[in-house]
Amino acid sequence: MATAHEHWLEQGDIYALGALDGQELKDFEAHLASGCAICEAYVRETRESLLLLHRATTQFEPSPAVKARIFDQIADGGKVVPIGAAQPKRRRTWQRVVGTIAAGIAGVVITAAYYHTRYEPRHSLYTAVIDLLRDPDTRDVALYGAGPTPAALGRFLWNKSGEGHLFVTNLPAAPEGKMYAVWTIAPQSPPRYVASIRTDARGQGGVHINAAASDKPIETFAVTLEPVGTTAAPTGPMVLVSKQS
Amino acid sequence: MSAQSISPGYLIQQVAQQDREAFSQLYDRCSPLVFSLAMRMLKVRSDAEDLLQEVFVQVWRQASNYSAERGSPEAWIINIARSRAIDKLRSIRRMEQSFVLTDDPARAESSDNVETSAAESEAKMAMSSALVNLPEAQRRVLELAYFDGLTQTEIAARLKEPLGTVKTRMRSAIQRLREIVRMQAA
Repeated sequence: MATAHEHWLEQGDIYALGALDGQELKDFEAHLASGCAICEAYVRETRESLLLLHRATTQFEPSPAVKARIFDQIADGGKVVPIGAAQPKRRRTWQRVVGTIAAGIAGVVITAAYYHTRYEPRHSLYTAVIDLLRDPDTRDVALYGAGPTPAALGRFLWNKSGEGHLFVTNLPAAPEGKMYAVWTIAPQSPPRYVASIRTDARGQGGVHINAAASDKPIETFAVTLEPVGTTAAPTGPMVLVSKQS
Repeated sequence: MSAQSISPGYLIQQVAQQDREAFSQLYDRCSPLVFSLAMRMLKVRSDAEDLLQEVFVQVWRQASNYSAERGSPEAWIINIARSRAIDKLRSIRRMEQSFVLTDDPARAESSDNVETSAAESEAKMAMSSALVNLPEAQRRVLELAYFDGLTQTEIAARLKEPLGTVKTRMRSAIQRLREIVRMQAA
């Protein structure tokens, strides 16, 4: 059976890598869609092999701010079902009274779980910002509106380790297809992209930054309005900038 | 029941029921895996974090689509991450291609490229021994496909090699990888 599939299995390897293209990709996808269990299993096995490759590597840790952002984004809707409580449990009739008490306790547990899950990521972010503020190597730099947004204001906490946090206010949300890019500028060096920042309907936003440490002291901090994806060098108008020291 | 004793399969079932606690645990377990992949593919930390956010929001919304028959939850999540990262890489390449003729050559020395190089070096240092054990030519095509999101045709053009040669190297690399993974598992 496998021999009859030699051609498809060859394609399956490259498909699992994501490198199959053109007519070969269309043909292979049609073959999979036809319900070939052999090729489906083969692709799945190849992907699992590639996953094991990941496990053997050193892993990078994301900033705690990301988890906070995700939980903010999913905040609307969704119910809380603690892991233990979600397991099916058998109840006996004579345990009704005990069950009522247990339900009360479960209510407390559910509420606690909700607050833990909802606010723990945000707590991590606040902790990271407080740690920044406590560090004597952290600078607190004011940013002022420029160009099209003279009323905008910002506050940039910047540590020489490359970690920072930027708060902005009075900065209108970026138009469709545009983003606000955050740059650090050291003397005799080109601007370095360190993050993008979004603002809400009130013009407020914040971003936690984990950039590579700079070997030169940062002289200027700036935010520009750029086409989405622009990170090589600023091309658009400056909307916030620090006073040069 | 301790957090570690709960299987990712069970967690994802609970996420499908909009269970935030399960989602939090799934994130804690899988985010380093996804973020490491994103760092290697996108090179810029903030972009990798944006991707991580997009992936887990998609996991939250589409967990009910997951089926164990498709493979492990980790493989399902990694597949989402790779697809999104490849889309971003291809979008960036299209922008670069349309930008390069009018671009200032001085930008080639921009700090972002310096940052990219640094992240690249960091990523390369972390490359698994399994990849290092592959012959250079095979390792190169595997990296270009898996971490840079290039198709077989793009790799052939990049390396100036016949498409057939690229395919052979890719398949040999994967077969070798399977052997290495089996040996590691044994």
